[in-house]
Amino acid sequence: MNAILENFDKIFNVSLVYATFRSATPIIFAALCAAITQQANILNIGTEGIMLVGAFTAVTVSYFSGSWFLGIVAAMIAGAIISMIMAVGHIRYNSEICAIGMGINMLALAITKFLVKAIFNSTGSFSSPDIKAIPRVNLAFLDSIPVLGELFNDWCVTEWFAIILIIFLQFLFYKTVWGLRLRAVGQFPEAAKTAGIRVNSVKYQAMLISGLIGGLAGAHLSLGYSTQFIENMTNNRGFMGVAAMYFGGANPVFTALGCLLFGFSDSIGARLQAYGIPSQFVLMMPYIVTVAVLSISMVAKLSAGRKRESALHSGN
Amino acid sequence: MNEYVVEMKGIVKNFGQVQAVKHGEFNLRKGEIHSLIGENGAGKSTMMKLLYGMYPIDEGEITVKGEAMKTLSPKIAIEHGIGMVHQEFMLVNELTVLENIILGFEPKKGLTIDFDKARKDVEQYINQYNMEVQLDKKVSQISVGEAQRVEIIKTLMRGADIIILDEPTAVLTPQEARRLFEILNNLKQDGKSLVFISHKLNEVMEISDRISVMRQGGYMGTVNKDETSPLDLTKRMIGREVFLNIDKDYSKAGETILKIEDVWIPSQKETSKIRGMSLHVREGEIVGIAGIDGNGQSELVEAITGLRRVEKGRIILNGEDITNKSPRRIRNSGLAHIPEDRNTRGLNRSMSIEENLVAVRLDEAPFTKGILLSREGQDAYSKDMVEQFDIRPTDYHLPTSSLSGGNAQKVVVAREVSMKKKLLVASQPTRGVDIGAIELIRNTLEKAKKEGAGVLLVSAELEEIISLSDRIIVIHEGRITGEMMASEANENNLGLLMMGGSDAGKDGEKAV
Amino acid sequence: MNQTVNSIRRILLTMVLALGIGALLILAIGENPVDAYVALFKGAFDGKLRLGTTLAGFTPLLLTSIAFAIAAKAGAFNVGVEGEVFLGGITAAYIGINWTFLPRPMLYLACFAGAMAVAAAWAFIPAALRAYYGVNEVCTTILMNTVALYITSYLVSGPMSAGTANAQSLPVTVTLYQFMKPSSANVGIFIAIAVVVLVILMLNKTSWGYKIRTVGFNPSHADYVGINSKRVFISAMMLSGMLGGIAGCIEVLGVHGYFLNNFATGLGSNGMLASLIVKNNMAFTPFMAFFLSVLKSGAMGMQQATGVPKALVDTITAVFIIIATMETAFQFAKKRKAQKKGKEETA
Repeated sequence: MNAILENFDKIFNVSLVYATFRSATPIIFAALCAAITQQANILNIGTEGIMLVGAFTAVTVSYFSGSWFLGIVAAMIAGAIISMIMAVGHIRYNSEICAIGMGINMLALAITKFLVKAIFNSTGSFSSPDIKAIPRVNLAFLDSIPVLGELFNDWCVTEWFAIILIIFLQFLFYKTVWGLRLRAVGQFPEAAKTAGIRVNSVKYQAMLISGLIGGLAGAHLSLGYSTQFIENMTNNRGFMGVAAMYFGGANPVFTALGCLLFGFSDSIGARLQAYGIPSQFVLMMPYIVTVAVLSISMVAKLSAGRKRESALHSGN
Repeated sequence: MNEYVVEMKGIVKNFGQVQAVKHGEFNLRKGEIHSLIGENGAGKSTMMKLLYGMYPIDEGEITVKGEAMKTLSPKIAIEHGIGMVHQEFMLVNELTVLENIILGFEPKKGLTIDFDKARKDVEQYINQYNMEVQLDKKVSQISVGEAQRVEIIKTLMRGADIIILDEPTAVLTPQEARRLFEILNNLKQDGKSLVFISHKLNEVMEISDRISVMRQGGYMGTVNKDETSPLDLTKRMIGREVFLNIDKDYSKAGETILKIEDVWIPSQKETSKIRGMSLHVREGEIVGIAGIDGNGQSELVEAITGLRRVEKGRIILNGEDITNKSPRRIRNSGLAHIPEDRNTRGLNRSMSIEENLVAVRLDEAPFTKGILLSREGQDAYSKDMVEQFDIRPTDYHLPTSSLSGGNAQKVVVAREVSMKKKLLVASQPTRGVDIGAIELIRNTLEKAKKEGAGVLLVSAELEEIISLSDRIIVIHEGRITGEMMASEANENNLGLLMMGGSDAGKDGEKAV
Repeated sequence: MNQTVNSIRRILLTMVLALGIGALLILAIGENPVDAYVALFKGAFDGKLRLGTTLAGFTPLLLTSIAFAIAAKAGAFNVGVEGEVFLGGITAAYIGINWTFLPRPMLYLACFAGAMAVAAAWAFIPAALRAYYGVNEVCTTILMNTVALYITSYLVSGPMSAGTANAQSLPVTVTLYQFMKPSSANVGIFIAIAVVVLVILMLNKTSWGYKIRTVGFNPSHADYVGINSKRVFISAMMLSGMLGGIAGCIEVLGVHGYFLNNFATGLGSNGMLASLIVKNNMAFTPFMAFFLSVLKSGAMGMQQATGVPKALVDTITAVFIIIATMETAFQFAKKRKAQKKGKEETA
């Protein structure tokens, strides 16, 4: 404990800001993947699986083609395919969404394991110098500026893109025709139907975009956040994304803020490990934080709801 | 050219095993108000949902403005100028009134929605037909009457000249209904053709040009309003004459069984919050709660039965303080409860009739032996109940999901009344059931009262309230606006109180 | 009865389809599917060791699948069984190592009771969060599995470590008799079968079982008839946790004889699969658990005898579950229409 206090300024410093964002980015993508379907009232439990398939595809395609960009594109397509399997099952064949979502997660885990063995003849993980990573953006003029340089320089391309995506989805949900229809479909499908909106078509579209984002999440994880594929490398980030989506009420900006919290606990944990905290405690920290934050946000929502419902205070 | 804008011939529609429409006929002239009447379940709403393309027809033909419609969907119906105001409003609570109105037909400006243009377009209709609505409020914050106007504007915005209104007055006070009729007449003057679905004969006689009758999915003829009478229509609707009036016995109301003292009850809707209400029910009397749906009736009932928390005040049942006690405790203190929604609350639709009948007394003697459930005890009891309440089919091992509305409700009534509790809370006990079941249920309530139970009856049907109750309490926006003996009550004085009392005036329908 | 026949037919059809897709994958990597499946079958049944291994693998799956199913009956999607197995196992190990002051029969009981209590307490957390605050239990249970794994991993590599290279605990002083040596099949299988029979009876014949089913079908109705839906929900989750705890205890006392780090990985999710495939039907679940354990234990044999990676088996089960969840697949077109109409009517 003393060691931690003595090194307080080494743990909490400027680089922690980027470390937090860096840990949070894969979860942000995952959370956005879950948020878009949630707007259509579909709980995308399969986020984890979509992401894992995306991660594997990205590494494979980048390795064989030598292009990180093709890797990302292929990952997004693979994510969309997986997502469409779930969509068809859920929308066309009435699958319970949690059940088929867990099925998708299992499938992703198994098939990536299978393919790593079948394609690369390796077990557990695959890495190679031939895998082209997503480049980092170096802004030369920032090099000389002390704090800003440390904060913003050398971000991975997809990290910048995460910010663009948050803003884009916020705009899409709340300002465009498609977003209005999406929300109507999620909140009261019958009303949307009578307004002439093809409800299932909107749901499929939401699932498709969700798959693309989920695939991108995986690509970022395996080509940006790291440069390799490891069995089950998503390590429940998909579920953390779903938790963050609940926290933010499927609103992209609030959802992303929730992810930063998880990223923060992750990067703090990594630093604490250097000072004698057992690794298991460090590793479990983001999970505990996620459960705690999720619970607190639901309790807060509930008590806000109670307050709004109360007859004792005058309304409006 | 054809004189009709809509013609429906030889329509058949089945939902699984249930034949919703056996033989449907309907036509509509330009610029008329044509009423479609019939009992609950006669198939009138289904007919109009078929016209609007909500479901495909199994047989028959539909012609709109001379064009035979091979396939229909809401989208195609809208394109042909058909609009529908559904019984259950098709409005998204979390969106604003304006967003709801333009949903599906949003004007665009670049990538975004052009809200300014939308606003201008909507205001045009508001002014033309004198329909006030508040465009920037969320739907969850507006009153029922206003929501209905929003629905009408929605159909107009989509260019409808054929407008279907499915039981539009079911949720309105007589005064609000009158205001709606003015709007409908304005629309008619403007050349719109209107279909008015209802089972209230006095309204139908007031507003219609022509009237079509349906009974049990079949077409029973069309008459001009001037050539018919309520009696004639009743006969066509029901096939026989019925007298729902029950001989009332005002005698011996006894001890107070339920006492509510200044309770405050929360609710999601502002108008449904109960803010300080006191009332009592005595043994051997039926107290009717009259009010428009959504003015706190459901909240009051849920609070009494332990399903909703009470924020302030006390509820005393049979001498015991039951405020915020568990439903089980309250039932043990002497409560039976017929809930307003039999599908989600009253019954467990995936379990059998028998399992539903014993649900509330599972841990009692003949139904359980030791820790095991007793087959024999349950069978004997179910057999008795099925006979006594004429529940059909009589095989009590069938799931309740296979029962019609009336028989499903009989299961609920049988279970609750047979316990002979001191207080019976009956909420909308005859909503959506056939005439036979209505008679049986009303007689059952009357019998419970004669046997000494206190009955708290909540109903949106004024006729039911007046004919069954001894005493009537009227509520509006969570407050009691009047109380009277049933002998003094009529639709007019109750209707006025339902809008908030004599001083509420024309704006009484607005949300607070 | 007709319904039962139909469900069985559905399950068999799904099974054939999943094996078919698996065969395509095997073809795709240039192997012979028939050889692979034969090797799989042999790997599961051929000889005392292999059959015993299959039975030993079946024991925990039987318990975890019923654990998932009982929670599902109350309307919960309990992905957390795996964490409960871990915690049940570590508790049993702790008691089995340290409470030697107890007479042996009591020590057995204490191991099981302790495992059940700790696992039930762990299940209580997500259950209460869901019941009282609406926190999605799928998320919380999945995340808590990881926490449980790390807690046990910390304990066996720290305070409870045997000091060996592998993270594991000291051996327990009481073990369950292994009757098919050299395999690790043990009498725990009979305990598991007895427990499962009791749970199924409880669900169908007692008022508690009735309450669980009512809450699962329609919690709002349950509250109305005076059943405390929240309490019943939590109790069903805790029962589910206990079953997971028993599985953990049997694994530690019967299979390993000590707590082995990571030993339960996959036990919870495979149990969940077995239950989901048969739509949480309690009578079918044990058979599905058996089928999955055959696949699992045969997979190794297949990988050794042919060039097919054993991960293929997981792929097949995953495909199996995905198809099985599709309620309306395999219905003849006419029937589907009828069902769709039925839906419209209730809508």
